[in-house]
Amino acid sequence: MAGDSEHPMTAPDDLGALMARVALHDRAAFERVYRATSAHLLGIALRILGSRERAEEVLQEAFVNVWHGARGYNPSVATAMTWLINIVRNKSIDALRSGASERRSTGALDDDAFEVPADPATEPQQMLDASLRRAHIDACMAALGAQQRQALALAYYKGLVHSEIAQQMGAPLGTAKAWVRRGLDKLKDCLSSRGVTV
Amino acid sequence: MNLLQPERLDRLAREYALGTLQGPARRRFERLLREAPLTMRVVAHWQERLGVLAAGVPAVPPRERVWDGIEQRLFARSRAAGRWGWLSSLFAPRLLGGVLAGVLLAAVALRLQPQWLDLEPKGETLPASYVGLLVSDAGQATLLASSRRHGHTLAVKLLQPLDVPAGQVARLWALPREGPPFLVGEVPARGAATLALPDSAEKLFSSVARLGVTVEAAGGDARTPAGPFVASGHCVKLW
Repeated sequence: MAGDSEHPMTAPDDLGALMARVALHDRAAFERVYRATSAHLLGIALRILGSRERAEEVLQEAFVNVWHGARGYNPSVATAMTWLINIVRNKSIDALRSGASERRSTGALDDDAFEVPADPATEPQQMLDASLRRAHIDACMAALGAQQRQALALAYYKGLVHSEIAQQMGAPLGTAKAWVRRGLDKLKDCLSSRGVTV
Repeated sequence: MNLLQPERLDRLAREYALGTLQGPARRRFERLLREAPLTMRVVAHWQERLGVLAAGVPAVPPRERVWDGIEQRLFARSRAAGRWGWLSSLFAPRLLGGVLAGVLLAAVALRLQPQWLDLEPKGETLPASYVGLLVSDAGQATLLASSRRHGHTLAVKLLQPLDVPAGQVARLWALPREGPPFLVGEVPARGAATLALPDSAEKLFSSVARLGVTVEAAGGDARTPAGPFVASGHCVKLW
């Protein structure tokens, strides 16, 4: 899956067709969905949870849900990849906030449970920049201030809530909220000016 | 407090999609999503926009044990049973219940309406037939489909009405073991219908494992299912 970091998913149409088969409990299709998307999805969970062990637990839980819940996937509402990302992000955020997985990893001494080593490519700001470049909206989003971009990146990649963003950035709560809101407004504007009509 | 007021809904939807909505407010909003499915579209728009931000996250291939764990949790019974897995899976309590219910239903139906299967004996042997009993998400028997082995029609009987909004149609799809789903035809929301088949049932259904019904926009591209399956079930060669 070496090419996954560049193209983390199969063509959207293929994935949608595979999901239709998973909805009817086709195991071969289910494995193909997993092979095509799991590295990308684990990357997302890992950034939020900070531990490979916990991120892999969430990934496993998510795919068990995908198998049972694929009938609930509606291709007219969201692309399959968006649907999968959403399941993994919500589960990661729930795990992050429940604190349960944190308690479990305390005292676990195998290497896997250690914090993910710092890597510039996984800094929220770097991931935001890389994503915006890929979507060709980096120039448009450059109109945002650095703090607004940072606030958006912390919320999306780290799963932080407004109060945590405020604390981390040393800003009042209302200011942090406004930064995030502004970031989302701009994202919406930049995407629609690129002709993305969602 | 009206959560469905457009501006308020959009604000909640974006915060929910981003993840900054938390605690009881998040749970309340999730309840609203279940109760008012159209709100899901507002959330989906934001999820689609935010999905753009996921593209720059470096991929990390999971260890093989993650997949093993998924298989173990979902399919342990059939894996342990090896080559007889299909047999043991027949006896899984949930499936067995479904199969028995299906057989019972089919038996009752055939006794009352033998013409459905075109089963009136014409000689010493009965013709082999394909039968599908489709079950809704809620587990209710929803649609019975049947065809004679060499017949060119498929009899469809709705066991409970389908919810088909104006401008939409219910479509019946066949899911082969290999290859993409193909359209069998449109089915009515209630009652019964006879669908003309482009070929004999034997040719069309011998490699089909399951049947499913979608509710989707009328017209449009009917080459692949465009909506979730509202009911599905095994397609079996009965005799």
